[in-house]
Amino acid sequence: MIINQKVSDILETKFPGVVILPEEPHNDYIQIQLEKWNEIAKFIKIDSELKFDSCQCITGIDLGIEEGLEVRYNFHSMKLKHKIEIRIAIERKKPSVPSVEQVWRGADWLEREVYDMYGIRFKGHRDLRRMLLPDDWKGWPLRKDYKTPNIYNGMKVPKVRKGWD
Amino acid sequence: MGFLEERFEDNIITAKLDQILSWARSTSAWYFQFGLACCAIEMMATAASRHDLERIGMMPRSSPRQADVMIVAGTVTLKMASRVKLLYDQMADPKYVISMGSCSNSGGPYSRQGYHVLKGVDQIIPVDVYVPGCPPRPESLIEGLLKLQDKIRKERPLTKKK
Amino acid sequence: MYRDFGTVFLFVIIGAVLLTVALLLAKILSPSRPSKNKLSTYECGEEAEGSAWVKFNIRYYVIALVFIIFDVEVLFLFPWAVVYKDLGWLAFIEMAIFLLILIVGLIYVWRKGDLDWVKYNVKYGQGRYQNSSGKEA
Repeated sequence: MIINQKVSDILETKFPGVVILPEEPHNDYIQIQLEKWNEIAKFIKIDSELKFDSCQCITGIDLGIEEGLEVRYNFHSMKLKHKIEIRIAIERKKPSVPSVEQVWRGADWLEREVYDMYGIRFKGHRDLRRMLLPDDWKGWPLRKDYKTPNIYNGMKVPKVRKGWD
Repeated sequence: MGFLEERFEDNIITAKLDQILSWARSTSAWYFQFGLACCAIEMMATAASRHDLERIGMMPRSSPRQADVMIVAGTVTLKMASRVKLLYDQMADPKYVISMGSCSNSGGPYSRQGYHVLKGVDQIIPVDVYVPGCPPRPESLIEGLLKLQDKIRKERPLTKKK
Repeated sequence: MYRDFGTVFLFVIIGAVLLTVALLLAKILSPSRPSKNKLSTYECGEEAEGSAWVKFNIRYYVIALVFIIFDVEVLFLFPWAVVYKDLGWLAFIEMAIFLLILIVGLIYVWRKGDLDWVKYNVKYGQGRYQNSSGKEA
């Protein structure tokens, strides 16, 4: 509760209107808008009361066909020893988020993985390409509307082989 | 055998020579350690001192050119499949393949929902012995290798095929 | 004396025969089925790219050079040692002079630091012109 409240307040004073407040206060995450994510990222790294200098994880979530995609960041401060989760909701059509790769260098591969699995483009990322899947794979597997392809480069990728079951 | 392969009719001399040749080939089958995932740990354990692979003649080689047997241990993803095929092609004859573990036999735990897994390595290379298990115990792998040795020993490389 | 020559000759013959038999046997007994993929360059399963000529460290050359020199010196010592008992003081002094010349060479190589794998009188990463005023190229 405390760290969430503190971070929400600091963000509200610096960038008014960017935090989407939840119905009841909780300590799980902070939901923010997409617009000023660039400046917010630089700010929370440098600000003396927040000092989030370690980007622990970046995940993508597909919340369903109606709700759209979301990007979740986990930050941790090594100096002040607190941690936070930040969620950003994005649309499904052409999902695009400003990249924080130049702020936290560890976000480089994390963002590549999110791009690989969800197709969320990170604007400003210097080397955005597929990481886990082969380079010529079509589709974004972890989205809810993904269908397994039947054939890839001459190899069958079916769900069940004949004679099983 | 450029020169002597399948040249002779079937008689007692060639039968004995075949036996010697096949015995020599089967008891010194050097394996190409191709550990991809968890089964690699079991392959390493089999090669270690408690269950020894050297005592049945198998020595680990890291290069496909020096190996006779390729032990495909672990999940073969579609990304890796082209490399597996190329490495199998680069092995020198006579070559054999052992598919170790469920993932390379048939896709294993990823056989239903795995969009990125090749369901069975026998879709791209011909397999001689399948060793089931997830992962197979070292004793299972040794049994599979001994079966491979029996299979090699039954070969008649010098006689004409009917 | 001729018996010794005969022994050496037999050694050479057996060596040659062994080598020939091993290679010939492999050649006629092993299957040969070349294909395009089999003859391709090995690069852990990927398509090979880049040149196969890589830079290697000059230390290997230096060590080989020093080894050759002292190995040939030992080669000269062997026949001298075999007949040493029948020769007089002159042979000893000659060999001592020969060895002395080579020991001077050894001291030179030693002091220059070529016997160490990692040289201690060279600062790595700085280049030898660190004290000069001009900029590095």
